[in-house]
Amino acid sequence: MRLALLILEDERAVREALRRDLAPFASHIRLEEAEDVETARDVITEIDADGDQLALVLADHRLPGTSGVDFLISLRTDERASMARTILVTGQADQEDTIRAINEAQLDRYVAKPWQPELLCQMVREQLTDYVVSRRLDPLPHLPALDAAAAMTLLQDRGDF
Amino acid sequence: MTAPASPLDGCGRRDERNAEVAGPPWCHALVIAPPPLAATIAEDLARGLSGLLAVTCTPDAEAAVSRIAAAPDWIVPLILMVATEVPIDDQLRILDQEPALRTASLLLLTDRAWHEDVTLAVDQNRLQAVIHAPWTTGTLAWLARAQVTRWLGANRPQDPQTQQLVAPDGRPMAPPESDLLRLLELETMDVATQLLAGVERVLGPCARLRLPAGTRLIQEGVDVDAVLVVLKGRVALDRAAPSGDLRLHHDSTGAVVGLLSLARQQRAFFTARATTEVEVVHLSFEQLDRALAVDPSLGAAMAAVSIRALANRLQRADQLQIEKTRLNQALERERQELSRTLHQLEQARLELVEQARFAMLGELAAGIAHELNNPVAAMLRATTYVGEDLERVLASHPQGALARSVFEAERERAPRSTREERAIRRHLEQALGDPALAQRLFEAGIEEPERARALTADPARLELVEAAAGIGSALRNLEVASRRMCELVTSLRTYSRPKGQPVSGIDLHAGIEDSLRLIAHRLGRVELERHYGELPTIRCHPGELGELWTNLLANALDALDETGRIRLITDAPTPQAVRVRVQDNGRAIDPAILPRVFEPRFTTKQGAVRYGLGLGLAIARRIVEAHGGTIDLTSATGGTQVTVVLPVAGPPD
Repeated sequence: MRLALLILEDERAVREALRRDLAPFASHIRLEEAEDVETARDVITEIDADGDQLALVLADHRLPGTSGVDFLISLRTDERASMARTILVTGQADQEDTIRAINEAQLDRYVAKPWQPELLCQMVREQLTDYVVSRRLDPLPHLPALDAAAAMTLLQDRGDF
Repeated sequence: MTAPASPLDGCGRRDERNAEVAGPPWCHALVIAPPPLAATIAEDLARGLSGLLAVTCTPDAEAAVSRIAAAPDWIVPLILMVATEVPIDDQLRILDQEPALRTASLLLLTDRAWHEDVTLAVDQNRLQAVIHAPWTTGTLAWLARAQVTRWLGANRPQDPQTQQLVAPDGRPMAPPESDLLRLLELETMDVATQLLAGVERVLGPCARLRLPAGTRLIQEGVDVDAVLVVLKGRVALDRAAPSGDLRLHHDSTGAVVGLLSLARQQRAFFTARATTEVEVVHLSFEQLDRALAVDPSLGAAMAAVSIRALANRLQRADQLQIEKTRLNQALERERQELSRTLHQLEQARLELVEQARFAMLGELAAGIAHELNNPVAAMLRATTYVGEDLERVLASHPQGALARSVFEAERERAPRSTREERAIRRHLEQALGDPALAQRLFEAGIEEPERARALTADPARLELVEAAAGIGSALRNLEVASRRMCELVTSLRTYSRPKGQPVSGIDLHAGIEDSLRLIAHRLGRVELERHYGELPTIRCHPGELGELWTNLLANALDALDETGRIRLITDAPTPQAVRVRVQDNGRAIDPAILPRVFEPRFTTKQGAVRYGLGLGLAIARRIVEAHGGTIDLTSATGGTQVTVVLPVAGPPD
């Protein structure tokens, strides 16, 4: 089982930039991209079919057809993805959308464009770790993508040591 | 009904006899009564009307009408009707069929204590007198003569017999019998003179006082214990008010000043002030009292003077009331007019504010466009330089050819959907059996499994390929991004170009696209359909038109709930004109406000002023009209369409 991270962003250049900035994770987790919500749902189906788990979603706020916030809200009722951590990556979400994202989609983090790659990577690592902790997964296979100290604590808690 | 016994018993004979004594044979009094009684009445009437009218009897209203119809030249000044079972109003309606009977004075002779059948008669002012039967002989004659006299004076003033009865002023020659009514017919001055003469008969001669204009004869709030008879000059009645003295009334010669206050035993309600030199006689309360006690006939004169004064005052009060109502109405009209004007001013101000806002935005946009232009141009050039220099560097690299081909392929790579990309990656994964490696190779632009396997075997080459691909895609993204910024800057400059002279050769589509770019952030999920036709270039103010399209698009977006469709249709209906239609499939405009959508309006919501549909459209109309074009709006269930037609030749000079 691999942890999967989904980038939902309609603009090619931004998608490619995110992908490149998240390249350090590429060897350890499954990186997926979608330019619209429909593709994102296909990706989730594939992840599930491969026996992997969607651990983290980075969604743009403005997407064709629906807003990123609406997509994040809909994830909460999808059992294949309901536990996934969520990060809103946005340049122009207004206050109302942000409030909805936090209240209804239990948004975990908010990243404003343009982002700083180190901070983004750190945030992704934290969120992946939180996902592993909250699902009480074995952290060992994913360790390079996680926060090492937190992962160790989890291992101790699990009694694997 | 009882009546004085009469030796005569039929109308026919009465008619013959009366014809001898009557005046003109075509002038008749009608008696409407059952025959025996009619004869008695006719006899009494004839006494009073001898030399004026013939008296004709008919048993009922129908008979009266047919009688008159048979004699079209008759004049009927008087009808005497006896109350019977038939209601008076019903009889009156029958009589009214004959025009000659409609103006007649009506006397009602009745032995009843109550009448409930005279509503119409009273309401139409048709009933001149009600006489109780039995009557004293002579009563009918006397009343009838008075009525006929009055009728002739009013209706036939030129007849010789009328002139014998009626004075030139229309009053009957014969004076009223009572002192009071007789005095009331006199001029006010004459009554005052008579009163004074009576008083002097009792008290002896009274001194005339001559007083200059401005003298106060009585003072407001001061006890009144005397009257002043004004024999010459004019007097004004004023009352103090917070805003200065209020003139209530202006009396002329003949007034007895102080009479009303004296009558009410009160302090004077107003100040009487001479407005010209006046000549008055001063009579104290006691002097007046003595005169009235000694000569009771003076009471009628006093009463006449008082009634006359009261009547004048009352008439004046009524006039004031009417005037007040009229002024209030005028005031109300002016108030509404002012309120309308204020509203218009407010709207004009809002439009100016909006225009100023647009002007400011235009300046700001121009500033930003200018400042952005240079860095963006530098960026765009820099991407080219980096590419060129990289190629030179790679030329000297041992693996240069490979790196260069990867770099160029990645730089030129056409956009693909994430779905296609995923499929390719999947294919690669299956071929290599290592997802992480497949991902890495895919990102480096290596998609063929054979090539991928070869590179995997040579990590150094793979590193180089990854780097070259990275530079290629980065440069591509940099170039796309800076081109987009260039376009935005160009749009902003068009939008903010100062008005100045109209510019020829303008492509309308380019302007619309500029506006679309500027509001792209609002388009969101709205579906945009362009149906662009062949258009000639036109002469116009491009900046103003930019504002126009922006306004129309913003309105269309406002009508949509995040989703929906906006359709832009352009064509040239004639060689001289171009047409742009902006359609949305959103909420229709309330039909109630549809006729006024082009008026500047605004709404306030939650304390913030929002420029509604109106202001944007008001500005749109101003711009279109300044270009010599037309703008129309239709709205119904299913959406709204705004049609703008502009002349190719541009604004009229």
